[in-house]
Amino acid sequence: MTKARLISAVKMQALLIPFMWICLLAGGAEQGYAADASPEVTGHTIRLARAVMCESIDGYEPKYIAVAFSINAGRISCYTLFEDVDETTVVDHKWYRKDELVTSKRLTIKPPKWATYSSIQLREEDKGPWRVEIWNAQSRLIKTLRFSVID
Amino acid sequence: MTLYQRMNSFFAFLFSIRWQDIVDVLLNSYILFRMYVLFRGTNVIRVLAGLALLWIFQRMAVALGLIVTSWAMQGIIAGAALIIVIVFRNEIRSVLQAKNLRALLWEVPRNAEMTPIDAIVQGVYELARHRIGALMVFPGKEDLDEMIQGGLAWGGLVSKEMLVSIFWNGNPAHDGAALIQGNRVTRVGGILPLSLREDMPKYYGTRHRAAAGLAEQTDALVIVVSEERGAVVAAKGSIFTPIEDNVALERILGEHLGVGREQRDHLNKRRERKELTAAAVICVLCMAGVWFSFAKGMETLTSIEVPLEYLNRDPQTQIQSTSVNTVRLHLSGSAALIGSLRLDQVKAKLDLSHAARGQNTFRLTNENIALPPGLRLNRIEPAEVKVTLDVPATKEVPVQVDWAGALSPGLTLESASVTPGKVKLTGAQRVLDHIDTVYTEKVPLENLKTSGQLDVPLALQSLGLKVAEGGKEKVEVSFAIGPRPN
Repeated sequence: MTKARLISAVKMQALLIPFMWICLLAGGAEQGYAADASPEVTGHTIRLARAVMCESIDGYEPKYIAVAFSINAGRISCYTLFEDVDETTVVDHKWYRKDELVTSKRLTIKPPKWATYSSIQLREEDKGPWRVEIWNAQSRLIKTLRFSVID
Repeated sequence: MTLYQRMNSFFAFLFSIRWQDIVDVLLNSYILFRMYVLFRGTNVIRVLAGLALLWIFQRMAVALGLIVTSWAMQGIIAGAALIIVIVFRNEIRSVLQAKNLRALLWEVPRNAEMTPIDAIVQGVYELARHRIGALMVFPGKEDLDEMIQGGLAWGGLVSKEMLVSIFWNGNPAHDGAALIQGNRVTRVGGILPLSLREDMPKYYGTRHRAAAGLAEQTDALVIVVSEERGAVVAAKGSIFTPIEDNVALERILGEHLGVGREQRDHLNKRRERKELTAAAVICVLCMAGVWFSFAKGMETLTSIEVPLEYLNRDPQTQIQSTSVNTVRLHLSGSAALIGSLRLDQVKAKLDLSHAARGQNTFRLTNENIALPPGLRLNRIEPAEVKVTLDVPATKEVPVQVDWAGALSPGLTLESASVTPGKVKLTGAQRVLDHIDTVYTEKVPLENLKTSGQLDVPLALQSLGLKVAEGGKEKVEVSFAIGPRPN
């Protein structure tokens, strides 16, 4: 976790999407619940070592990892850890509520190992099933994390 | 209203006439015509005509909105109908009982066709020549049973000799009246009601007074042969007609009985044919008027909601969505037709044979609506229908659990997995194009305390999709619940 970096794009996101803030942080590796069968090793440059949904990031580690988050949590994050990064690249975190794209955030990944995350602020009407798709720079889907926002 | 509009509405009216209406009018016209044929010549017809006039006035009163008048006339008509049945019960009974079914339904009665007028004329003048008093009754349409008292039932064929012998002074029954029906003397020695008229000639005796009494009260013809003078007199209604000779008697008898000499017979038949034709036409006109009054006079409006049937779509496509499934029809027609209208008699259909894939807009017209004859379609709501057609397709999509509710405090849903992770769905292409995930029905978390497994159905109904053949509509959800870390 020594390479962890804090990328602060939260406020910018809040300006662009009302009621929603995206936070970008670095963190550790964990696997989300309903991950699709898409390969974790993608392209020649990066390998997704860990991807989880959590309530917060604490000490560069995802905290309160789960697949169902209470609306009272206030904010949730998608944490991803990449290894074998041979050059600086980007990944996209695409947040969907049901099948509707809510927000998409492009995150920079740097060699040789990089952790990053995006977050959203929860509102009452955000209850329901969600998914976050992680796409690489070649627009290939690396992984899908599925979770729910509950009471 | 212009002439064109008038013509249009007239033709619309003509086309709205059903075959049932024609049968209705013709059937009732025939019933009316038969009533006329069977009761003609009696007072029943005159009273019925009066009733018909009252009914016309009543309808006019209704049309003019004269509430009390129409109510009063309705009461009078109802009362009069009852009175007719009571007063004319004998005539009605004689028509209904005396005739066979053919006579009731088809034949034109010619009762006296067989009456031997020649024999009667000869008999009457034989009696007159010998100064033998006689009283002969020839019934008309009315029943005389209650008017003629006493006497003896008889069944002898009419002949000159028979008549002379009946009224011969030595015959015990010679003093009464002989009733002649058809070619038979059916009763002799009958006692007739006496007339109370005071304007009768003084030389008229009891026999004449009896003849007048019956003739005044019935439609019978009574022939009297005077014992003193040998004079022959015919009484019908309130008129006494002295008979000068046998020709006059033959004519009077012929007129009353509906027969005569061949020449007169021919004229009579022509006259009768004309009379019956006129009566038939009047009956048809009357019934057409009555039908129009009932069927069109009480025109009313209604609106009904019927399902819209979509027909003839391309079998390669399926209906994905429609803007409406029912349409409201605003109809007009006679109150009787609308009152008896059943929903299954009305169909709303939309032909999709020319519909293309995607959204189609159709304007509903009268051609889309099938109505029972006699009803008119005024408006369709909505006038436009949107139908979206699509081709069926298959798509494999991942399954996601739709968790709901709240876990108990201090617990966390750590992980979950679904088996199978993906399902193959079939449905409209347009729907499937917009689906990347299929969700389960909501899974409440309140009762989940520990890790476990659940069988959960997929939420497909609202999407109009199905699991492809061989797949299951339920998935197995394995979940792990643990304590929430501090």
